[in-house]
Amino acid sequence: MMKQMDVLDGLEKGVKDVNGGRNLGVSKDGGTIECERCTEMTAQEVRLCGLLLREHFGEVVEKVGTHLLKSGAQNLRTIIHETGLSVDLVKKSLCVLVQHGAATFSSGRKGPGSPTEYHTSCDRILRILRYPRYIYTAKTLYGDTGELIIEELLQRGHTTMSSTVKTVADRLTQNMAEGRTMDYNEVSSTFSKLVETHFLQRCPPLPGVGNKDSSAPSETPATPGTPAAPVNTAPPTPESFPECYKVPSVTLIGRGKRQLASEDGEEQRSAKRAKMDPETHGDEGIYWQVNFERFHLHFRDQTIISAVANKLDQTSSEIVRTMLRMSEVTTSPMATCTKPLSANEIFRSLPPSYNILRPILDQYLTLLVDDPMEFVGKAGESGGGMFVVNLHRALANLARATLESVVQERFGSRSARIFRLLLRKRHLEQKQVEDFAMIPAKEAKDMLYTLLSQNLVQLQEIPKTPDYAPSRTFYLYTVNQLPTARMLLQNCYKTVANLIERRLFETKESKRLLEKSQRIEAILASLQASGAEPEQLTEVEEMITAPEKQQLDTLRLHINKLDSAENQVDETIFLLESYINSTNASS
Amino acid sequence: MLPVAWDTEGPQRVLAVGHNISSQANKVRAPRRQETLEMAEVKVKKETNLSDPAEVENRIKELCQQFPHGITDQVIQNDMPHLEPQQRAMAINKLLSLGQLDLLRNSAGLLYRLKDSQSTSKMKGSDNQEKLVYQIIEDAGNKGIWSRDIRFKSNLPLTEINKILKNLESKKLIKAVKSVAASKKKVYMLYNLQPDRSVTGGAWYSDQDFESEFVEVLNQQCFKFLQSKAEAARDSKQSPMVQRNSSFATSHEVWKYICELGISKVDLSMDDIETILNTLIYDGKVEMTVIAAKEGTVGSVDGQMKLYRGVNAIIQPTGLVKTPCGLCPVFDDCHEGGEISPSTCIYMSEWLDF
Repeated sequence: MMKQMDVLDGLEKGVKDVNGGRNLGVSKDGGTIECERCTEMTAQEVRLCGLLLREHFGEVVEKVGTHLLKSGAQNLRTIIHETGLSVDLVKKSLCVLVQHGAATFSSGRKGPGSPTEYHTSCDRILRILRYPRYIYTAKTLYGDTGELIIEELLQRGHTTMSSTVKTVADRLTQNMAEGRTMDYNEVSSTFSKLVETHFLQRCPPLPGVGNKDSSAPSETPATPGTPAAPVNTAPPTPESFPECYKVPSVTLIGRGKRQLASEDGEEQRSAKRAKMDPETHGDEGIYWQVNFERFHLHFRDQTIISAVANKLDQTSSEIVRTMLRMSEVTTSPMATCTKPLSANEIFRSLPPSYNILRPILDQYLTLLVDDPMEFVGKAGESGGGMFVVNLHRALANLARATLESVVQERFGSRSARIFRLLLRKRHLEQKQVEDFAMIPAKEAKDMLYTLLSQNLVQLQEIPKTPDYAPSRTFYLYTVNQLPTARMLLQNCYKTVANLIERRLFETKESKRLLEKSQRIEAILASLQASGAEPEQLTEVEEMITAPEKQQLDTLRLHINKLDSAENQVDETIFLLESYINSTNASS
Repeated sequence: MLPVAWDTEGPQRVLAVGHNISSQANKVRAPRRQETLEMAEVKVKKETNLSDPAEVENRIKELCQQFPHGITDQVIQNDMPHLEPQQRAMAINKLLSLGQLDLLRNSAGLLYRLKDSQSTSKMKGSDNQEKLVYQIIEDAGNKGIWSRDIRFKSNLPLTEINKILKNLESKKLIKAVKSVAASKKKVYMLYNLQPDRSVTGGAWYSDQDFESEFVEVLNQQCFKFLQSKAEAARDSKQSPMVQRNSSFATSHEVWKYICELGISKVDLSMDDIETILNTLIYDGKVEMTVIAAKEGTVGSVDGQMKLYRGVNAIIQPTGLVKTPCGLCPVFDDCHEGGEISPSTCIYMSEWLDF
């Protein structure tokens, strides 16, 4: 649905307020500049980002984006020079990237007077992979309205509330029964609910907006007004602004407009026309974007709840769900565990459909605390017992289960046994591995060496003598969870890139066929609109032969399979990324 | 204590006095009986010891009998203070060579112990070297000793060792047992000893072969038992605490169940069952807790009991392994434009057509 947008399309979907063309100073040095801000990006990540950019925004944006990824922050002149594209195209690509939050700009490193530098990061582009999951979550939580709002915002990057509401109302009206239209108020209320639960947030005001005097970046809170002060390297987060989640008071009265059939072909232009609609609703300049972090917290909570349901039972998972729901807004994203909740509060907040008695609840809580997985911990005795959900530990356990499952599927259950054994016991000699796992010596040796060659298991040497003589050294096998998780994450990125490439290949193979079927569909549609007889329709339909139809069906099946596989791998990516980020935060 | 008449001025003198003393001692024997009787005996004997080395040896032997744990040099010296160290050493050596005395060393020094007369008869007819080798093997006890180690300890040449070992084996005094750790290695131990578990491998090895099917069968049986117990507990719909407690099984219960099943030809101990249950933990199918138990309850070891419970996995197989790339053996060689690439991947084609 969102593929195949080329540059111009992306530009037309609401490019606003970007200072891309402001600073066109000449850069003194034309070589590649390393950016001190950028985190490490591996080759696999860059490849995947390139593929995603190409699919969603076209090849020109891909070129500019990957160039920025590889070479760090650069100013406009350098980008133009190194990518070899025209000034116009580069400017437009940068507009697209900034619009979607994939690129940020700031004053150059030489101080406020130097040309603006543009900077992208992998994380934001990799989020594109997760768009289907965000939309689906919004659908489950807020119904079709929520789904469409999120979809609109994801497609356009940053938009105002009023334009979103109007577009969504129109789309909903389109799908409703004849004669019924969608009221703007309903859409507005869903929008407000999304903002209240922090799924949407305001875009932070851009530095230097409306300030033609480029010498004083006075908006960034960290730097005082002195012109010689160095630029604050960290971009301000959206949440550092106090009005981040405040819904503006908009005057939006009306209902959705149903598109008439004759206006079908003009949908593109009507979208443009809406942009240039002179109506103002009181919220000019306030742009909204999707708050990915909030969605990620939600996904994390869902995974923990389903893990508890698998391990224990439904009631325990309901209790954990209640606890997590109560801590949604009080817990910071990087917290190790939720704020302590007393058993009394939990009892009061349980959904009424679960009639559990208070002593039974206490028993469930005790069982949750005693469980070796340590999802829930006890933090005190007041109020009938204070309980917390151990978020970081839960993530570590889930990451560990992921690693074990990969080893099991790839190498078999006995290798998985050895892997789990090493995870538990940390360091073991070969003989000990054989004894504990009860696997014959030859087979155990074989499995250990295979795991070692795949770098899932490491060898630690402990010498008895300073010369590391093999006969006088202990060799211990060990598994380090964090580096192994990082390695698997890179494998996931490579896998997704492979799946996307395969999908593009399959599409390219059958390009001729696809074009033919598209033409025939267009002819059919126009014939139907103009009221043709059934014979004409069947005649047109028969232009596609049966084997071709079958080929098309197989192609569709393949593409769907590859698509769903991408989503499944993205789940693994999410788990591993959350785990790795949680260890970064706590270390 | 010793009477004042004893002095060490000279042997002659002592002898004369000794006579007197003995008569005196005889007179005073009756009232002194409550005191150390041995002291009187010592007095009687001591006079004759000085001239006869055999008496010295007998004396030492008697001392050994009195102190079955062994006597030190110090005890002998206390007993016969006039005895010169040379004579003492001679006597002891004589006894050692006769094989009647055992020389041991403990933290305090050397110990002499009377040798079991039965064992002395065994070695009749063997020369010293054989006795030495036999002693080394006996000291190795249950675990046995390798021929090279015997060579180190006895400092005898290899050919001699082999000859002696063959000799002893033919006399049925020692036997050779193949070690499970290194199949070419043979360890020697006394004939009537049971080889230790570390050598034979215990219940899991039969004739040096690891019995994997046996272990697998046991593994599955234990798991089934624990799983059915957990399911029964879950279906019972009682309060959650009771449910969880009833889903636990102690290692003793599992052991009893396996014994009753009768699938094992060999007797399995509770430790063996615990090693099997540990492998189930490493399979991720079972979890264990330890609780404090009263001493004397069935199955408790050192006041603790181990409880086992069947569990489910916390996540479904992860998304990465549902794609062919997650399981691909040539994943690292794959890149676009190469011989192995996503576009031409045969695993993907098979998977897509599935």
